[in-house]
Amino acid sequence: MTITKTNGSKTVENKKARIALKILTYFISILIVFVFILAFLPGLKYWSWEFFSSFPEDQMTGGGIFPAILGSILLTAVSLVIAIPLGIFLGIVLSEYNLSYIKFAVTILSGIPSVVFGLFGLGLFCITMNMRTSILAGGLTLSLMVLPVISSSVYEVMRSIPRELREAAYALGARKSEVIFDMLVPSVRNSIITVSFVSAGRVIGETAPLILTAAVFYATNLPKNLLSPVMTLPTHIYFLAAAYGTKARWMAEGAASVLILFVILVYTIAFMFRREKK
Amino acid sequence: MIEMADTIERRNIKNEYILEVRNFNAYYGEKLAVRDANVKIEKNKITAIMGPSGCGKSTLLRSMNRINDLLSEFKVQGEILFHDKNIYDPEIDVYILRRRIGMVFQKPTPFPMSIFENIAYGLRLIGITDKKELRDRVKQALEMAALWDEVKDDLEKSALKLSGGQQQRLCIARTIAIEPEVILFDEPTSALDPVATQKIESLIEDLSEKFTIVIVTHNIGQASRISDYTVFMYRGEIVEQGPTSKLLTNPQNEITQQFLSGKIG
Repeated sequence: MTITKTNGSKTVENKKARIALKILTYFISILIVFVFILAFLPGLKYWSWEFFSSFPEDQMTGGGIFPAILGSILLTAVSLVIAIPLGIFLGIVLSEYNLSYIKFAVTILSGIPSVVFGLFGLGLFCITMNMRTSILAGGLTLSLMVLPVISSSVYEVMRSIPRELREAAYALGARKSEVIFDMLVPSVRNSIITVSFVSAGRVIGETAPLILTAAVFYATNLPKNLLSPVMTLPTHIYFLAAAYGTKARWMAEGAASVLILFVILVYTIAFMFRREKK
Repeated sequence: MIEMADTIERRNIKNEYILEVRNFNAYYGEKLAVRDANVKIEKNKITAIMGPSGCGKSTLLRSMNRINDLLSEFKVQGEILFHDKNIYDPEIDVYILRRRIGMVFQKPTPFPMSIFENIAYGLRLIGITDKKELRDRVKQALEMAALWDEVKDDLEKSALKLSGGQQQRLCIARTIAIEPEVILFDEPTSALDPVATQKIESLIEDLSEKFTIVIVTHNIGQASRISDYTVFMYRGEIVEQGPTSKLLTNPQNEITQQFLSGKIG
């Protein structure tokens, strides 16, 4: 039936659309490759054991970026430990209970620029709660920032569950909490994990909020505890570019490629969960 | 509802009508979907609700176990009595109500878990945790749904791997496992091929010995093959109802006649 209905002009239109989409796809792919070549590859030649394991030396002209790598890992870990469970929980609650005002607030929060979260964290955590510039203050700020993003993504995953599955569980007499936690959440578990990590990928590259709440220019010691300040990869790159000029350019390039590696790692983990589902 | 379940002895029910819809209106937002419906559902019989698409037959059915409560815009007026008690009464525990009035949907909806777990899930909800009892009840339900012989060696296999007809029989098994009194079928065969349809139809006939059945269908043949009573709806209203043989062969209302002759539908 459908074959006989398809007339000639439509087929031509389809062809045109397909070609346009193909060109667009190639264009975007080339862009990504360019970013990769310009930002990732130049730094690769500085990778060495020393670069990964030592402190910066001689006005950033020698040594390595170990404290920045460690700081980024610690900050990411602190923020994700807080934000992922809370974000998943919030997303599930928002999708299953009628809380449209809170949903609206969360949507707005996820669009607020990160520097504003930085100022908020500076005021609340660093000053009012007296955490000063520290891993904890930065981690909390980052988790606040990414929480609405994670919960919005989880909300969308929950909403994508077919209505039939909900109804079938309710029809057996399951209570709301039983429907949610026995049926709905398990059916999309891997998708929830994937979107949480993808949303959380933002955290690794955040710069502005960390300058305000957690990061220092240069640390002579490694952090002793969660209330110590740290160096981080993105802030280190920023400081190098802003204050050290061409002498330190090599270190910024090296740090940038390490940062990109981290992002690739997190996204790979995230998508491994999705693939497992299939 | 728990109290109600205790006080009513199933075998000694004098009233042969298990469900009674009284002056019932249902709305989606402002839109009236069912207008002034009055129906009595007789125990251990098959009642078909028939009519063209959009006539309100599914809405009426989905009001009987309050599954439509899940839709935020849905509102009702009037009563639906289950053992002479209004199911829309605020003191009714709707979750227990749904255990006693089960439902099978249009699209087969197996849970994304094993065949065994699909049935065991509902059993655990009603408090059965003993492993042997679970196994026995699962087997019994699958046998009643005429599915046991096909799946007895693959109980741990994902239910999603079954064929459409098998999935629908699994959904029926899942529903009868918790031993409801009434089973509501919402166009249970409209997504299935003729062979699977025939199996489900004969299964529904067998089930009527033990359960009271209400089935929504837009298929005149299906209503005539399996139902004892037929309710014909058109544009939200019940136009005519009565014994199926009488209603299909000698319809009194003009609209019913037009529907049966294929002029509307």
